[in-house]
Amino acid sequence: MKPEDNRAWLFLVPALAILAFAGVVPLVAVFNYSFFDIFTLDSAFWIGGDWYQQIVGSQRFYASLGRSLLFSFIVLSVQMPLGIGIALLLRRTGRASIVFLMLLAVPLVVPWNMIPTMWLSLIDPESGLVGRALVWMGLDFDYKFNAVHTWIVLVAMDSWHWTGLVAVLAYAGLSGIPSAYYRAAAIDGASRYQVFRYIELPKIADVMFMALLLRFMDSFMIYIEAFRINAGGPNNATTFLSLDLGEAINGFSYGSAAAHSVVYFLMVLTIAWTFRTAMLRRQEGLTEVPA
Amino acid sequence: MSGAVDQSTSGGGRLMRALALACLAVFILVPLVQTVMLSFMNTIPRDGLEEGRFSLINYLNIFCSEALRSSILNSILYVIMNVGLTLLAALPAAYAFSRFRFVGDRHIFFLLLAFRITPPVVLSLPVFILFAKFNLINSPVGIAIVHCLFNIPIAIWILESFISAVPRELDETAFLDGYSVPRFFLKLLVPAIAPGIGVAAFFCFVFSWVEVVFARILTVTAGKPITMAINGLFGFQTDIGLVMAMTVFSLVPGLVMIYFVRNHLAKGFVIRV
Repeated sequence: MKPEDNRAWLFLVPALAILAFAGVVPLVAVFNYSFFDIFTLDSAFWIGGDWYQQIVGSQRFYASLGRSLLFSFIVLSVQMPLGIGIALLLRRTGRASIVFLMLLAVPLVVPWNMIPTMWLSLIDPESGLVGRALVWMGLDFDYKFNAVHTWIVLVAMDSWHWTGLVAVLAYAGLSGIPSAYYRAAAIDGASRYQVFRYIELPKIADVMFMALLLRFMDSFMIYIEAFRINAGGPNNATTFLSLDLGEAINGFSYGSAAAHSVVYFLMVLTIAWTFRTAMLRRQEGLTEVPA
Repeated sequence: MSGAVDQSTSGGGRLMRALALACLAVFILVPLVQTVMLSFMNTIPRDGLEEGRFSLINYLNIFCSEALRSSILNSILYVIMNVGLTLLAALPAAYAFSRFRFVGDRHIFFLLLAFRITPPVVLSLPVFILFAKFNLINSPVGIAIVHCLFNIPIAIWILESFISAVPRELDETAFLDGYSVPRFFLKLLVPAIAPGIGVAAFFCFVFSWVEVVFARILTVTAGKPITMAINGLFGFQTDIGLVMAMTVFSLVPGLVMIYFVRNHLAKGFVIRV
């Protein structure tokens, strides 16, 4: 067990100082702005909770929230199983797995504002590889005016971008399993499913938990990629929470933008707290069972 | 540590696996192939050069443009500063988490988690106002500092798992031998977890290099990084070939880093609360 020593706080000072400057101070400021009607920063009027009332009372907010949740749900149900599947596959691939891990990491290093441009050129019906293939197959693909098609592009693009991260994390979790476990399972005549359920899944659960959290939050607050593909259209079908906020900021409605920010940050806190609690409970559950 | 015992060595299973991997490779590569193709193509009407023709003109244009060249420098500058700053702050913190329990450690863990998942767009406005007061607008320093928000938590997570793999005896004997804390970090701990520092640096690089919301709001008139220089290329008649050539350029440092950390990419994500 680790020794208890409160001098460890000294080691945290540099990290906490930076986080306080770049994170805590802006958060306090944004909390403050959210109670004002701001034309310029010099002329702000106290209006109390009006912005919040406006947000909570608006249909638009709930519609955006619903779309964001749906997007996260689809993205997670595609990327998590796919990532774990790829990792399991790579564990059986031998030396070539390094090549594939490198390949999986490539989409991660593409600047976020370039990913939509790449995908738009890809599905361009005249010059894009996929676009021309769709035309050739006689499919009428119209991401601009068909909401379902916009969603397909967004999910495919996001999965291209992020499945690699899930796979790398899952692979990391799997690497920690001693081969003796597998041999024991083989001797016991365990099926492939049993090996996954009782050996692999418990071992990767923690790291997958983290992957789930990261992927959930990043997809829940998807901004630049969604904006570039269709600017929230067609007919607001892809207007997610962060696009509403971006609109408020770009419209110089700072008070309203700040109130949106506070609401979103509260959501972030709730989600992080839920994850933390669930993780602690899981680990306490693990220590209670004698190994 | 070559792990999994292969249970399905039948030809069919092997073929299926190869097929699945081939599909995966195609899925990842097709958008990249498209990008590279367009970057070698003339995509707007020019005298004496047909549209759609193979050409190096886009790459030549990058070197002719002062704004594009300096953007590459700006990006490299802020990313190096960010990675340096992040590692300096995260290494002692990761050490503390790895070796000690202390009052509030779980709350700090929660704080780190919350900052990692806070979307930049939520903080962009107050960060702009705050950084303007400190004269950090239009400078790579501002971007380097604000990107620490999401990179310090990630770096602490990765470094902590690498430090925890180092036996505690290393610390104990070092301090018995009279090492000071900074000297212990530099002489013993850093060499012992060198791959971990590489992996942490890689992920910090990745998340900082690709980020656009803070990078945009903090560079109004100058100091624009590659991402913003590319944004500036969009207009009435966008030269998509030039955009793609810049994109290819923006990938190069990332690809180099991937190559260097390839053997350690998937290590170091063990979580302790």
